[in-house]
Amino acid sequence: MQCDEAQALISASIDGEASDVSVGELRQHMAACPACAGVQSDFRRLSQQLKSAGREILPARVETRVRQALAQAEAEQRRALVRGKPWIRQLAAMAAVCLIAVFGTWTMTRYMDSESRIEQDVLSAHVRSLLQDSPIQVASGDPHSVKPWFNGRVEFAPEVKDPAAEGFPLAGARLDYIDGRRVAALVYKRRLHTVDVFVWPSAHAGDAAARLIPVKGYNLLTWTRNGLTYWAVSDLNGAELQQLQALL
Amino acid sequence: MSSRTTFEQLALPHLDAAHNLAYWLVRSRPDAEDIVQDAFVRAFRSFATFRGGDIKPWLFTIVRNVAYRWLAGRKRASNVVSIEEAFAPRAGDAVGEAFIASEEPSPEALLIGAQERARVLTALAGLAPAFREVLVLRELEELSYNEIADVIGAPVGTVMSRLSRARGELRTRLGALIEKEERDAM
Repeated sequence: MQCDEAQALISASIDGEASDVSVGELRQHMAACPACAGVQSDFRRLSQQLKSAGREILPARVETRVRQALAQAEAEQRRALVRGKPWIRQLAAMAAVCLIAVFGTWTMTRYMDSESRIEQDVLSAHVRSLLQDSPIQVASGDPHSVKPWFNGRVEFAPEVKDPAAEGFPLAGARLDYIDGRRVAALVYKRRLHTVDVFVWPSAHAGDAAARLIPVKGYNLLTWTRNGLTYWAVSDLNGAELQQLQALL
Repeated sequence: MSSRTTFEQLALPHLDAAHNLAYWLVRSRPDAEDIVQDAFVRAFRSFATFRGGDIKPWLFTIVRNVAYRWLAGRKRASNVVSIEEAFAPRAGDAVGEAFIASEEPSPEALLIGAQERARVLTALAGLAPAFREVLVLRELEELSYNEIADVIGAPVGTVMSRLSRARGELRTRLGALIEKEERDAM
């Protein structure tokens, strides 16, 4: 065994990291080599001295500093969790936009659809009634016989008036079917024109002002009053239709 | 329990040891404090990568990395040398009170005698950082060769030979210090 090899073994044996075999060999070498035996006792003393020298003293403020720094790091980490993942916010924004778009389109199409469907239904019902022999089931110019006729036929009591004095005589009434429900239809005359006024309970609360909708040469006028939706339809001009609306 | 509480419970008991390692790597008390704080914050941030077991070697690895980065920075900074620094005693000279570890004598110091303690710490301070760190990890922190190998990122054989050479160097320096003291006394 060489002396430099022995020195490495001496160091390892002091630390208890040398194998039994090499410790045995080392012992043999040292028996014949006083220099290495001296190294061993020096290394032992050095090890002892270092161990008892102890650690560098830790000032108390260091722990305070470290704790503060850790709390700060934790706070930064929390903020970074939100800030550091912009895709989360992008995703949320995208989801919100999608939701608004879907909801908006849905309500709009639903509203538009029901609106245009009602227009179609009102017009069809009017035209169909004119194709038949009579657009009237109960023929009477007397509101007090027309109004009771609706009892049990529809689930509401339509207001029936006879503005005959103003040139809109009440011809009678019938039942019709608009937008999937049974509705009251009041029939008025204006010279040779026939005016159908469909009435059913409004889906929305509150009154709505009259709106004139010209469709295929016909004039449709709709309004809501006292919880009832009115649709007047005729080939009469718009102004006269509005005149009738004011009388009803 | 927050991860910070867990981390503090595991890591703060080793603050003393981590600070000691940092001090012996950079041999400056204010810098050792900065390094140990930086290292603990880094350790906390990468706490998720800690795979359990003894936290001490893991912490030491981080302290060591921070300290070496700091030393590298100091080396770069010291390319511009002031007159005072140029004439100040170099680390290799390892003489003078500058390297005496503590102003206050610890109980151990009283036990082995202040002079002897100062002498051995001065000799230690004069060693190269690579030698200092293995001695600190082995003698002061009592890490096994395997743990030291993990911390310094070297094979166990390297740890063994480095410790042996560090001890040889320390022995030589201590001998020189004693000789010098005797010469001065005469």
